[in-house]
Amino acid sequence: MCAGGLITLFHAADEDGKMTRNTRLTLALIAVVVLVVGGLLTVNRPDQPPVATTDAGAIEPTVLAREDSHRLSTAADGKVTLVEFLDFECESCAAAYPAVKQILATYQDRITFVVRYFPIPSHPNAELAARTAQAAANQGRFSDMYIQLFENQTSWGHKEQAQTEVFLGHARTLGLDMSRFQRDLDDPATAARIGKDKADGAAAGVQGTPTFFLNGRQLTDLRGQDDLVAAIDDALAR
Amino acid sequence: MSAATVEQHTERGLPEQGFLSRATAWICTVGGVVGMLAAVMLIVEKINLLANRGYVPSCSINPILSCGSVMSTPQAEAFGIPNPLIGIAGFAVVTMIGVVLLAGVRLPGWFWLGLQAGATFGVVFVHWLIYQSLYIIGALCPYCMLVWAVAIPIFLYVTLRTLRQHGGALPRSVRRAAAAAASYHSLVLTAWYVIISLAILNRFWDYWITLI
Repeated sequence: MCAGGLITLFHAADEDGKMTRNTRLTLALIAVVVLVVGGLLTVNRPDQPPVATTDAGAIEPTVLAREDSHRLSTAADGKVTLVEFLDFECESCAAAYPAVKQILATYQDRITFVVRYFPIPSHPNAELAARTAQAAANQGRFSDMYIQLFENQTSWGHKEQAQTEVFLGHARTLGLDMSRFQRDLDDPATAARIGKDKADGAAAGVQGTPTFFLNGRQLTDLRGQDDLVAAIDDALAR
Repeated sequence: MSAATVEQHTERGLPEQGFLSRATAWICTVGGVVGMLAAVMLIVEKINLLANRGYVPSCSINPILSCGSVMSTPQAEAFGIPNPLIGIAGFAVVTMIGVVLLAGVRLPGWFWLGLQAGATFGVVFVHWLIYQSLYIIGALCPYCMLVWAVAIPIFLYVTLRTLRQHGGALPRSVRRAAAAAASYHSLVLTAWYVIISLAILNRFWDYWITLI
């Protein structure tokens, strides 16, 4: 009875073995959708950004960490550099934040830690948050704003409306020069600065956030803080 | 012989009648199991996330496909408790009803109306979640999408069966529309899936084109 039930469930053919009108129309609809979507995806295919690699297969260090990139710690010996491409509104980045904080406290000046902006377009306030961090950076307070944004992410993240007031509040909390902060927030140069980070990320093959690079190699399959610590220890021991 | 028995005889004579009932039984069984497993996975990931804030759920693949971000939103606890708890309970019931139907048990009308009420609640809730996920949260959670994918056919087939069952009480035009929908059941289901898939494609188009 059960096998019979399954055959009747699909009811794809009548007694003569011909497909029913329902089946034919269903298959036709699927075919049309696949063709149209497939066609659109092919036509819209973006030009792949060249991945900036060195001969050894790692990403160019100059692409991952520019002169003006924000460093939360700097290694005295310059041996180990950890780069994070992040989006202040991304939940996984906020989930990684405590791990990063602890790593910074543990390793201090034994590693260089670089933060790069990579706001994701589908996060409504990610770009504005990145500009907020950059406007604070212009007053030498990047790391303080970075902490503010992540520690309070739940209060401003995933909201359709622009969270400018919340971000201005953070700036006030940090005691920033507010008129300068507001000017910088709207300055096209600030947006361009974030755009540069994004372009570097794209060139390095970043597709999502957070993406970590340790000495030019992208860390994949990170399951938590332990994996990150193990990778850093390994690089320090080499 | 009363008019009611005559009508029942002729209805039973239609091949679609048997087909629709059996399809509903299978959809409830398979859909219920799939929905329940997805809800269990979501609860397991939620517990892991609560136990370890740095935990990255197995279904958080990238910023678009990410349960972590979807699970931590207020929408994930729409009624004050985590949604998957509702899913585990609801899909377990649906599975059981499917199995009972496959066993050939005839259920009373009020029982079917209860299933109809539950399936309707489920499909409305799921579409609210789809809207929230696409346009408010801006991320997709694979296990949640599995739930979307089963809640729709469960509702569709239960509803088609209910409409067939209570055809006599409906206006002629509604009855005819219901009969047409029943004979093009998989086309209706596919069209429903297509609309949601196109909304997903459109919403995250910038991301999908980077994949190819």
